[in-house]
Amino acid sequence: MNGSLDIFSRRNRRRFANMLFVATCTLATLMALLALAAILASLLRNGFGSLNLAVFTQDTPPPGVAGGLRNAILGSVLMCVGAMILAVALGMLAGTWLAEYSRDSWYAKTVRFVNDVLLSAPSILVGLFVYEVAVRPLHSFSGIAGALALALIAAPIIARTTEDVLRLQARSLREAGVGLGAPVWVTIRRILWKSAAGGILTGALLAFARISGETAPLLFTSLNNQFFNLNMLKPIANLPVTIFSFALSAYEDWRHLAWAGALLIAISVLGINTLVRILSARGQA
Amino acid sequence: MNDLANTDLSGMQHAPMATSEIMEQHVDALSQEAVKVDIRRLNFFYGQAQALFEVSLPVAKNAVTAIVGPSGCGKSTLLRVINRMYALYPGQRAEGEVLLDGQNTLSRSTDLAWLRSRVGMVFQQSTPFPMSIFDNVAFGVRLYETLGKSELAARVEESLRRAALWEEVKDKLDRSALGLSGGQQQRLCVARSVAVHPEVLLLDEPASALDPISTAKLEETIVELKPDIAIAIVTHNLQQAARVSDHTAFMFLGQLVEYGPTERVFNNPRTRRAADYITGRFG
Repeated sequence: MNGSLDIFSRRNRRRFANMLFVATCTLATLMALLALAAILASLLRNGFGSLNLAVFTQDTPPPGVAGGLRNAILGSVLMCVGAMILAVALGMLAGTWLAEYSRDSWYAKTVRFVNDVLLSAPSILVGLFVYEVAVRPLHSFSGIAGALALALIAAPIIARTTEDVLRLQARSLREAGVGLGAPVWVTIRRILWKSAAGGILTGALLAFARISGETAPLLFTSLNNQFFNLNMLKPIANLPVTIFSFALSAYEDWRHLAWAGALLIAISVLGINTLVRILSARGQA
Repeated sequence: MNDLANTDLSGMQHAPMATSEIMEQHVDALSQEAVKVDIRRLNFFYGQAQALFEVSLPVAKNAVTAIVGPSGCGKSTLLRVINRMYALYPGQRAEGEVLLDGQNTLSRSTDLAWLRSRVGMVFQQSTPFPMSIFDNVAFGVRLYETLGKSELAARVEESLRRAALWEEVKDKLDRSALGLSGGQQQRLCVARSVAVHPEVLLLDEPASALDPISTAKLEETIVELKPDIAIAIVTHNLQQAARVSDHTAFMFLGQLVEYGPTERVFNNPRTRRAADYITGRFG
């Protein structure tokens, strides 16, 4: 009698602890989601009201004049695309080397460590670094320098995820490719990359999402440009820096444009994410 | 990377018995013309641990050679020496000779990709590539041959037929191979290996993950391939060895204990160890 009571109470205690744990987890999730919802709500409320055709057709205006974000949008697209091309090439090759060729040598461990440090390096430091190597020597802020800074932020993310997903691939898959007489690099390129494509893509998307909102590194590199410019050797407008300067301004028009720009970044990141997920899901099926 | 060394070979460091004596007594000789792959006095090491001791074994032409023995006796290791798969991993090395048509494949100058295109391998787990069924089979062919579209299609069909898979997949060649069942995937791997017209095919417990029906189909396939390809199969299933093989090699603790015609080895084993293993007294 006594014993069964004891078990009964212990079971109750355990059940209570379990409930408490689940409740805490749920609450924490809810808080995170609430914050996200609040951000999205204010973004949608303020951004949609400011979004109109002029945002896409006109350039950033001087104070008091109607205008849009055309030059900033184009500049951002140019720099992000340039940065992603550079970062995907660099990151995938580095990650592949770390996973497949490095054989955990001393050099490989160093490279991996430095990559991890870069992963968490403050983006403003990256901006300063590129300022020193690509802006000062050329005596000009430029779109190229901006793309370079963004690439330096994106590449470590891609390298890391590439290494991780390649290591997850079954050893037998490698051996099967090699066993058919394929050289190792053909096996990697044609089989392992394909098998790991979903993971690498996710890494690339994360990197893209990260750089599309980066402001600090661009302040030192591409700077900004009030006018329409596609010359990557010249200072070039971009959304984050434009949002930064417009949002803090005293002019109502500028603040509206800043909201519109923020909404555009959010939509494009979300849109590209969704699109790629749909495409990769279709590719797998 | 090194888990093979850890899992496969517990207790491999035991000192060998007087290997050469056993060899001479219990290995039935094959005539030299009948030998496709001749393994001679092979020693193999995972780092410091020796896994094979002075193994000498012929793999016959137009025949199936089964390699049996308890877990960790070095069967798979032996197979992985024949196509030098071990060379992918640092710290693994082989000493001795493995002659493929008289040429030592262990020599430094061997072109590994070329060797592996002649010596195919099918693994315990099926390993379909993440691409269509057609591309899986064509993968190896495209590496070494430039075939026209129709020739390639013919080669793919021929290979799938030989692997007894054609009827099941002929209408969905462009679908992903990952959608096939386990048994179909394994036969696809056989088709893929056969497509490059190898001279030797190594099967590493190819049926251990398959149900009886798939296993039976795979065994049929093996027997059908025999006229063109020298086959070596590692198996834990003694009935399977008895069913498909012409010659059987029995290994124990990294040594070859007995080798001879399958019927003889199964009905009249000359060594105590092989007799015990085959009758189920151990292993």
